[in-house]
Amino acid sequence: MNLYEIVFYFFAIVTVGSAAVVVFSRNIIYSAFSLLFTFFGVAGLYVLLNADFLAVTQLLIYVGGILVLLLFGVMLTSNTISVELKTGTLHILPATILVALLVGLLTATFWTADWFMSKRASDIAAQTTSKEIGDALVTTHLLPFEIASIILLVAIVGAAMMARRENPKSQIPI
Amino acid sequence: MDMMEYFSNADLVGSSPILALGTFSLIALLVNSLVKNSQKIVFWVCVAGVVVSLWFAFDNFELNHTAFSDMLLVGGYASFYSILFLVITLFALFLSVPYLEKEEYHLGEYYILIILSTIGMMLMGSAGDLITIFLGIEIMSVAFYVLAGYFRTKLSSNESALKYFLLGAFATGFLLYGIALIYGTTGTTNLIRIAAQYPQAFMDPLHLIGWGLVLIGFSFKVAAVPFHMWVPDVYEGAPTSVTAFMSTGGKAAAFSAFILAFSVPMSMHDPKLTMVIAILAAASMLIGNWFGLSQTNLKRMLAYSSIAHAGYMLIGIASGTQLGQQGITFYLVSYGLTNLGAFGVIAMLEKENGKNLSYEDYAGLARTKPALAALLSMFMFSLTGIPPFAGFVGKYYLFASAVQSNLTWLAILGVITSLFSTYYYLRIVVYMYFREGGEELPPLSRISFATVVLSGIGIVVLGIVPSLILDVLKSMF
Repeated sequence: MNLYEIVFYFFAIVTVGSAAVVVFSRNIIYSAFSLLFTFFGVAGLYVLLNADFLAVTQLLIYVGGILVLLLFGVMLTSNTISVELKTGTLHILPATILVALLVGLLTATFWTADWFMSKRASDIAAQTTSKEIGDALVTTHLLPFEIASIILLVAIVGAAMMARRENPKSQIPI
Repeated sequence: MDMMEYFSNADLVGSSPILALGTFSLIALLVNSLVKNSQKIVFWVCVAGVVVSLWFAFDNFELNHTAFSDMLLVGGYASFYSILFLVITLFALFLSVPYLEKEEYHLGEYYILIILSTIGMMLMGSAGDLITIFLGIEIMSVAFYVLAGYFRTKLSSNESALKYFLLGAFATGFLLYGIALIYGTTGTTNLIRIAAQYPQAFMDPLHLIGWGLVLIGFSFKVAAVPFHMWVPDVYEGAPTSVTAFMSTGGKAAAFSAFILAFSVPMSMHDPKLTMVIAILAAASMLIGNWFGLSQTNLKRMLAYSSIAHAGYMLIGIASGTQLGQQGITFYLVSYGLTNLGAFGVIAMLEKENGKNLSYEDYAGLARTKPALAALLSMFMFSLTGIPPFAGFVGKYYLFASAVQSNLTWLAILGVITSLFSTYYYLRIVVYMYFREGGEELPPLSRISFATVVLSGIGIVVLGIVPSLILDVLKSMF
């Protein structure tokens, strides 16, 4: 086992282990905090894959943004901290069949797939991807880059409309 | 690096309908926040935006190239669908004003979200790349989630928005994962470049799974069985004017992207995917029409009818021929006009808090409001597929395309399920003409009435002279 593999297995164990805690923990705060480690582990895996930009984005957006939002959401909502989450199992038979099928499919795909990167791993020298992504965003991917701003506009207008204090004119009974 | 290589006048011309609508939505947004009680002004700004955008779309029709490094298709197909979405938007805008005033909840943001979602639709209908399709779907869907929950204080509206949002986000996950797998196996998201790798890429199971996941995402957006669970609740809970827009514009946009994603690249030659789509079509026709039989609420009935119609249109995709694609496009035009009209009538007769929506409430309508009853009957006949209305021609072309590609069983199933559907479509006609009843009705608005009459004229004209549209379609595909 060389150093690369040791680091890979470390991040893999961190990711899977903390993800298990997220799912099985009965306390929502524990779940939220172990999600932090899951995101970190995934970011580490990205670094190992030479995807530096993706790793940084993962940290900035998921750890810095979404997780903090999630924690605020949990903490600002009254009564959720003490509430025991229901983690019981329903519909055991259909769930087992579905999951078994899914696992079978994923494993079969994993073994049979003609992985695109594996053929060309030697071509890829260690280099940063940020510059390439930046170039693509203002050249070949100019349209998606601009369109993304319309999505943000829709989201902002929608959120503002949903969060209005009250309707000045009318009272629609619930 | 020369930037001009990637951005030129041709790109601006190609995206002019989208740019125009985007600009007007920003103006509307400014007006809405600067002027108090400006709903009417915002409405007219939005209408102006749609008209200007229509003009650009007509202007682009003769062109035939791509813009923004093959991200966007220009002219022909793209223009036709842009025009269709814009016309539907125009109808929906005019239906909305009286409805919102009647419900006494009238905000300028409503109109802005409507035209923003139209931008998403136009991107979907002119996508040359899976990324453009995805972004278009997201713009449209996010606007729809909010519009479905427009009546913030109504529980049904909240339920509708939440259900749509959660399930829609789930479907987006499938779609995006599928796109990622396709990119992973082919190294590109461009539809034409993916097509160039057919059939080698299809030997790879990963690639097939990618298309399967994309298919799930699309099936959700077009409301095909088994991804239809959201439709009845969302259609029932959302404001009727929004349902009218969602069920016509949203469906047309989803199908326009469906055709681009599944017939440009490959799968039309791929027997496995064709079979899956054929099964989806059959299931949608059967289940949609079956559950339609037992509905008592008109909005819910039209939701199940929308599932069934998604099934009919999927026949055109499963057949994989040009005839099938022309059939879908014609069907979308006729279905759009018909559904806008039907929901328009329902919106006019709806009373506060979603009352007056059941079959019984329409008893005796032929006596109290003969014109409305006649129009609604026409729309129901068109949905059933009875000549001389446009719905018949659309169904004819779709079934013909199925026969042409040796899917005769699908055509037979389509005819049989259409027979089922006559029961619930014509039941409303029976109630209106042959049952006694008729309480007082809310005052009818002239704008709504004019819009509904216009869509009524549309389906009759298209039913009698379908070549008006079909000739254009033949030159397009």
